[in-house]
Amino acid sequence: MDQYLTFALPKGKLSGKTLELLHTIGLPLDGVETEGRQLVFTFPEEELRYIICRPTDIPTYVEYGAADLGIVGKDTIEEAGADVFELVDLKFGYCRFVVAALREKWEQAGSLEELLAMGHRRVATKFPRVAANFFRNQGLQVEIIKLHGNIELAPQVGLADLIVDIVSTGRTLRENDLVEVAPIFPATARLIANRVSYRLKHRQLAEMAAKMRAAVEKQETGTVR
Amino acid sequence: MPGVRRLQLPAGVQDLLPAEAAAKRRLEEMLLRLFSSWGYREVVTPTFEFIEALDVGPAASSEELLYKFIDREGHILALRPDLTTPIARLTATKLRHSSFPLRLCYAANVFRYEAPQAGRMREFHQAGVELIGADGSRADAEVIALAVEALQEAGLVDFRIGIGQVAITKAVLAELELQPEAEMAVKEALVGKDLVRLTGLLAQYSVPPAASRRVEGLFGLHGGEEVLERATGLLAGTPAARYLRELEEVFIALKALGLQRYLFIDLGILRAFDYYTGIVFEGYVPGLGFPVCGGGRYDELLEQFGFPCPATGFALGIERLLMARDKAGVAFPPSVPGYLVAGPSPASLLREARRLRQQGAVVELDAQGWSREEAEKQARERGLNLIWVDD
Repeated sequence: MDQYLTFALPKGKLSGKTLELLHTIGLPLDGVETEGRQLVFTFPEEELRYIICRPTDIPTYVEYGAADLGIVGKDTIEEAGADVFELVDLKFGYCRFVVAALREKWEQAGSLEELLAMGHRRVATKFPRVAANFFRNQGLQVEIIKLHGNIELAPQVGLADLIVDIVSTGRTLRENDLVEVAPIFPATARLIANRVSYRLKHRQLAEMAAKMRAAVEKQETGTVR
Repeated sequence: MPGVRRLQLPAGVQDLLPAEAAAKRRLEEMLLRLFSSWGYREVVTPTFEFIEALDVGPAASSEELLYKFIDREGHILALRPDLTTPIARLTATKLRHSSFPLRLCYAANVFRYEAPQAGRMREFHQAGVELIGADGSRADAEVIALAVEALQEAGLVDFRIGIGQVAITKAVLAELELQPEAEMAVKEALVGKDLVRLTGLLAQYSVPPAASRRVEGLFGLHGGEEVLERATGLLAGTPAARYLRELEEVFIALKALGLQRYLFIDLGILRAFDYYTGIVFEGYVPGLGFPVCGGGRYDELLEQFGFPCPATGFALGIERLLMARDKAGVAFPPSVPGYLVAGPSPASLLREARRLRQQGAVVELDAQGWSREEAEKQARERGLNLIWVDD
């Protein structure tokens, strides 16, 4: 049986903290970098293989078992709707899903229901699944417009009335004269596992999860003043 | 102009080309033969039924998964999402006076409206068994032993079956005495193996630490026989303890059959949690991200059809088994030799072809009146032996 553990690591904004965490729990990292051209790093002695993926693809790699484990934001997991096991909240990469609207329109309407009742029903987002779930659960009918980036632009040019996006500090919203009108949920990075790997390579995965959980807890108590 | 769709297929369905169709057929035949040797008799149920007859089973735990349509009398119909539910209905109606336990099996296509981005098929094939009217660990052990043989029959060597017991989890949850919404949320987190959410929820609903430890502890209970001991410690003195004994009995029975090396225990295996009532299991193959089979005890389903009766069973995913065989490099034995029979006289060709077929060969007839040279070329291209009949 292939005892190699394949670990999907994210490119981009989560990569720094991810590598830091792997270092903390003593995993080999010689020469590993996430922004270069090499996408596979193999450590025969530890029977460990890293693959470097776009964050949005990580739930897919893990769901299909092409990777046993992965580190990715809860925002991405939710949007992918992938059937994976979520083992540890790694606590970094904090952001929130919110609904936002142009300040002026929001001030006229005063509530989400009122805003929608005024005929403002188009929602631009990179996260159509999260957005659709949110509005459906609220019993609100909207039209979702899928965009690929710079969502804040859409309300300003009249493409959409609302946006659903992730915010970390809220600065982008303010700079574009948008206000948060409803929170959806907060998200942080998670350790996820394939559901078959979790059973067949249980000892290795459970050990890895325990180490990460301990490292996260230690860091939390360490940073509390 | 006909739309582009005339040449396309909707998401989630596929054509099987000759080689794929042959592999599927042979696998299904092998499995049905095995089931039949254990006394399971095949049944065939309709592809669609009234929705009321289908929305109670394991696959229908989310009604959104059903393909629904309306007939001309205005009834809502649905395509079957599994065979367990139709077989329960069939048993409760047409077979209720037969001798129990009743052993039934099937190989059929099923339909589920899965999210398209998951890449799952919306029509796929299952083969499986139902053992109806038998409770207790002997019946549970029988279907698990049969599942092991089915995976062996399918040509797999490197596989494992994980066994769980949902009654333990249900008892531990009941002990928490949560409000319905809270219980639903905790269940969702447990079933989705979302440990992060589970820990959050237990804190949010102020579950006492000892009970929280029990719920979270269930997740970590994975391994061989030693797990039973650890679980005994965790569950001592709680109502869940008696369900643990059932699991132990099943494991001991399977061990006695020498199947231990294929098995492990994992109390985190919950499957369609609301629907199963006891021992559950899933089969795994390394390198394949999805279970290849799954099943368990569902003592409350037949009651939904007015015929309370314990039952257990399992289904194998045909496409997944074929994928696992491919990955493991298992080939079906080569097929019988093929011939192309050609020549000027159609009557002689038919006679020669019949003679060869009676010996068990596969024979293609020349339907075009080829010349000898052309027939030789055609035979080469098709990998057939040419029989040229002159007279």
